[in-house]
Amino acid sequence: MSRRLLFVKRILFTAILALGLAAQTALATIDDALSFALEAADPYVKEGFTVREDYWGGDLAVKSTKAIVHQLFKGNEYWFWMGTDLKDAKISIHIYDSEGNLAEVEAWAKPHFAAARVVPKKTGSYYLIVEVEKSPEERTTWSLAYGFR
Amino acid sequence: MHPLREFRHTLLTKSAAIEASFGSSVWQHPESGAARAGFASAPFFARHAKEFLPSACGLGSFEVRFIGLTSSSMKKVFPVLLALCSLGRAQQPPASESSPPPPAHIDIKQLPPQSKLIDNVVVPVPSEIFGVLDKLGPKPHWTSVQRASMANVKPTGEQSQIALRLGVVIAEGFIAVEAEDTGEVKNIGNTVLTLSRALSVEKQVKERAKAITDSADKKDWQGVRLELDKTLNSVRDAMQALKSDELSQLVSLGGWLRGTEALTAVVSDSYTRDGAELLHQPMLIDYFEKRLAEMKPKIKQNPVVTKVQKGMLEIRPLVGVEDGTMISAKTVKEIGRIAEDLIKTINSKAP
Repeated sequence: MSRRLLFVKRILFTAILALGLAAQTALATIDDALSFALEAADPYVKEGFTVREDYWGGDLAVKSTKAIVHQLFKGNEYWFWMGTDLKDAKISIHIYDSEGNLAEVEAWAKPHFAAARVVPKKTGSYYLIVEVEKSPEERTTWSLAYGFR
Repeated sequence: MHPLREFRHTLLTKSAAIEASFGSSVWQHPESGAARAGFASAPFFARHAKEFLPSACGLGSFEVRFIGLTSSSMKKVFPVLLALCSLGRAQQPPASESSPPPPAHIDIKQLPPQSKLIDNVVVPVPSEIFGVLDKLGPKPHWTSVQRASMANVKPTGEQSQIALRLGVVIAEGFIAVEAEDTGEVKNIGNTVLTLSRALSVEKQVKERAKAITDSADKKDWQGVRLELDKTLNSVRDAMQALKSDELSQLVSLGGWLRGTEALTAVVSDSYTRDGAELLHQPMLIDYFEKRLAEMKPKIKQNPVVTKVQKGMLEIRPLVGVEDGTMISAKTVKEIGRIAEDLIKTINSKAP
């Protein structure tokens, strides 16, 4: 009985350890994705943009999108910077107003990064659409930061 | 700055000259005609009505909103990894691949609920709104908006009330920055520490409080704003680590309420339609209402929290439904009255 208990304990320990390692890996890649997003932000900080500490992150399958609803204020100018740790992944970020009209005035993308700039015409809710267009991996970790001035 | 980010920032600054180049292909914005560079995006919605299906957007994925960095062990290992990543990254070529532009219009109503990160709302910091007020006209009289008593609030009452109060005090810090009031900013830094101690998150906030004081001494107002934002995140990080997500939400809500009260005071002082429009934040109010409704009975039944919940329901219809809705001077005053009443309740002695 005690040997069986020991066996069960070992199995449980191994499972918990495996879960812990998996979670750590997931966190690590989102942090790395964030580091790319902040890297994209760096030149804009020199132009007077204040980068928020808060950010979004997750993982997406290839050719899938995610919509984030976010409050923007007329009178400010915003940049949204998206990053991924996968160099060969192609990601994008686009911004729509509450009526579904493309609101961004500028956007760019290159390996690891994508970004979009918006100068809101109205104060209200905007939709940030992030997408993984292609990727060598089944799921691609991404992170999105923003700044304003 | 967080040590990890600071380390990374240093690395990035050093390699910025190499890394600053972006994609080269250019196309025109469909409405504004503005040029955009890089390979932009595929016309995802044109082909993606299907891809907004639950399987593509939500199921099987993990969605996280991090407030700062949370894994302490990872932080120890990451600087080395980031250094290696950064060195490799500095040599990457610019993008050469291009994609067609995104559609000029999408049907928002067709987005299935799974595709929205409605639970992951980032609450704007007061300076994000105050900055607009500064641009709208003559600089507001921020000193008349300040509440000197805020710097001396005590950690009385239940934890939920202290959490709300902490949010209020941090928002007061943003107002003191607008007023360029060094003494008050330093007082607020100390009060933040006192309230954090009562919430068992003093350790995580100590460094931030010191940075606030140091930046105030140097009259580095942008530095203080950044530190206040970091303080909010440090508090929420620490609370989430303590499994106190609900208190973390109350900190955000307290900050939002004080920011809103200050906004109504400035706009009422010199009404403009654009200034009043800044109060149009239905999505944020819905978010806070939802969070309050989901809280444990023990927290929800606190008289202060109950009153705040009721007040939010009163504010909701006043801020308008449609974007661009005009908010009258009378409505601005009414929102201000409700917010002021709630702030007084939050700062009152424990009921």
